[in-house]
Amino acid sequence: MNTPQLWILFPLLVSGAFLFIMNRKRVLKWAGTITSFCLAVLALRMPINQVFNFLFWELRISDEMLIFGRRFILSDADRPIVVLFFLLCTFWFFILDPKTVPIQIVPLGLAGTVLILTAYAVEPIFYGALFFAFLALIYVVLLSPPGQEPTPGVLRFLIFQILGMLFILFAAWLASWIDLNTGDQLLLVRSLVILALGFAFLLAIFPFISWIPMIAEKNHPFLTGFVLNTYLLGVFLFGLRFISDPGWFGQNINIQQPLQYAGIIMLGFGGAVALISKHLGRMMAAVVISEIGRSLLAVSLFLSGFPLFFALVIVQSLALGVWSVSLSHLRQVMKNFDFDSAAGAARQWPITSSGLLVGYFTLAGLPLFAGFPIYWALGTDLNPYPFWVNSWYIFGTIGLLIGGVRTLAALTRNSGEENVLIVSSSFYRSLILAINFILILLGLFPQILTGIAQNISNLMMGS
Amino acid sequence: MSGLFQSLSVAVLFLCAAGILLVNNWRWMTGILALQYVGVLGLVSISWPVEIAVVKLVAGWMASAVLFLTYVNVPASADDTPYELSLPVIYFRGFAAVLIGLSVYSLVPAALRWFLGATSQQTLGGLLLLGLGLLQIGLSRQGIRIVIGLLTFISGFEILYATLEASVLMTGLLAILNIGIAFIGAYLLLASHLEEQS
Repeated sequence: MNTPQLWILFPLLVSGAFLFIMNRKRVLKWAGTITSFCLAVLALRMPINQVFNFLFWELRISDEMLIFGRRFILSDADRPIVVLFFLLCTFWFFILDPKTVPIQIVPLGLAGTVLILTAYAVEPIFYGALFFAFLALIYVVLLSPPGQEPTPGVLRFLIFQILGMLFILFAAWLASWIDLNTGDQLLLVRSLVILALGFAFLLAIFPFISWIPMIAEKNHPFLTGFVLNTYLLGVFLFGLRFISDPGWFGQNINIQQPLQYAGIIMLGFGGAVALISKHLGRMMAAVVISEIGRSLLAVSLFLSGFPLFFALVIVQSLALGVWSVSLSHLRQVMKNFDFDSAAGAARQWPITSSGLLVGYFTLAGLPLFAGFPIYWALGTDLNPYPFWVNSWYIFGTIGLLIGGVRTLAALTRNSGEENVLIVSSSFYRSLILAINFILILLGLFPQILTGIAQNISNLMMGS
Repeated sequence: MSGLFQSLSVAVLFLCAAGILLVNNWRWMTGILALQYVGVLGLVSISWPVEIAVVKLVAGWMASAVLFLTYVNVPASADDTPYELSLPVIYFRGFAAVLIGLSVYSLVPAALRWFLGATSQQTLGGLLLLGLGLLQIGLSRQGIRIVIGLLTFISGFEILYATLEASVLMTGLLAILNIGIAFIGAYLLLASHLEEQS
């Protein structure tokens, strides 16, 4: 037995089996939650490449699987990534309300997570791009539930992901022609530019950004939150493999500045979208775009930025989760998510709306919420870099905060509506309050978050 | 003889990719797509043994069959194309296709410096499919046309990629990707007609 069989093939089979119980929504939700949690615990505790006793048997789980001459490796250093992804699945499946969310998120979400791990595990690295194309296909189905017309945003997502995959394969092809001894610099630069273009498609970096606001505006908020959270995290980790691989970026290649350019553009763009949008879905897109920018900035700091990146991941997941679960409940009573339709929601459904506000302000970087200490640390680490980096960082953050105030004003505006319908059951109201509490707690005691993030980073870097 | 065969394959590819852009009828569209894969086989077989190159043809035909069978089974209301191509649109598309053809032809000598190891016919055929596939994707709003555009684009890439990579796993994965994209096209075509879960 080996780790890819355990964390790739087995969950893939389970997600296939889940397709047969799609009509048992509640059972499926809990089955998905428990399975993901068990896989996460297994990833945390299972000895790899060591002999251990299990009941009557003596077992040894190797970290490598061979298929048609290509290796799939999930080693001890990859353990944090496996745990992180299965915990993400556990979190999203746990908070989903089967009454308001299409239940195919459980089998397709689990299969998607497995494909991300496959892309992360495969050697040579560039084969991973193909698995992201498969993931995009699965997420297109997830974002287009039966009975609904596929939205233009979903089609654009599909196009950009396929193009991105092809550019990465092409870059790898060009790079393979470089003679390692003579080191043809022109060919190397060409292949790196094409690789960057591929990742720009995959990560929706400006100008390939349009699918994020389109999907956030028209598609189901919970499905959108899940897809954006897991897909973008997967692509980032896939990109980190290229950065940490010595074969791609040698000593002479400076990728810090391009990463900072891209990060600042994304953060500034997110801030600008938040300033002018009048739609809750687009506000979600604004914070997601900004988070891509912040993550790029964190990655641009390399070793000192990796702990910040993982702290950002945890905060993003919690905040996007509470935002998505709140919005999917409000979806039942709002005809759409523009500010006029959402007027007065905080008066009628204060607890559900609180999830929107806490989730948004956490990602906008309001003091006392979990995002603030991380963004502060990121800003401090960026201090030695040029003025334009710091000024755009501040502009993006201010844009997001103003957008948050506009959202707050819209949700608390007196709409004259006095009928109050119950939109969430007591379980989901408690859940929203609990996540809000955690986000505030992590803001007050950021050392918990930074400690976890530092551990993940250390384990991954093998120090 | 080999050069003539390669040039014929390129001609088939151009005519098919341009034809897909211009026709309205879905039967013609899927039929031409299937024919296009014969041209792909012709150019891929220069770099690979025919018995492996035929995987491209089989995968392409399966993708075409999936799209064809979906159209046959689609509810009647969906069969009426909502974006019927008018005569000026057909002229415009035809003109754009010819422009792309000419541009790609003039670019081949420069492109050969990028696509090391490929013959000029392979480069021309691959780039033609890339260009016309991209044109199809850019000009369409219908899911099915976008899917066919993506399949065309990927075919172009596969011709060029075959000159470097002959890995069994990569060949298999690209074949699965082609069929997967066709299934997604079929699903998108049917999604709005499927029963919403209660």
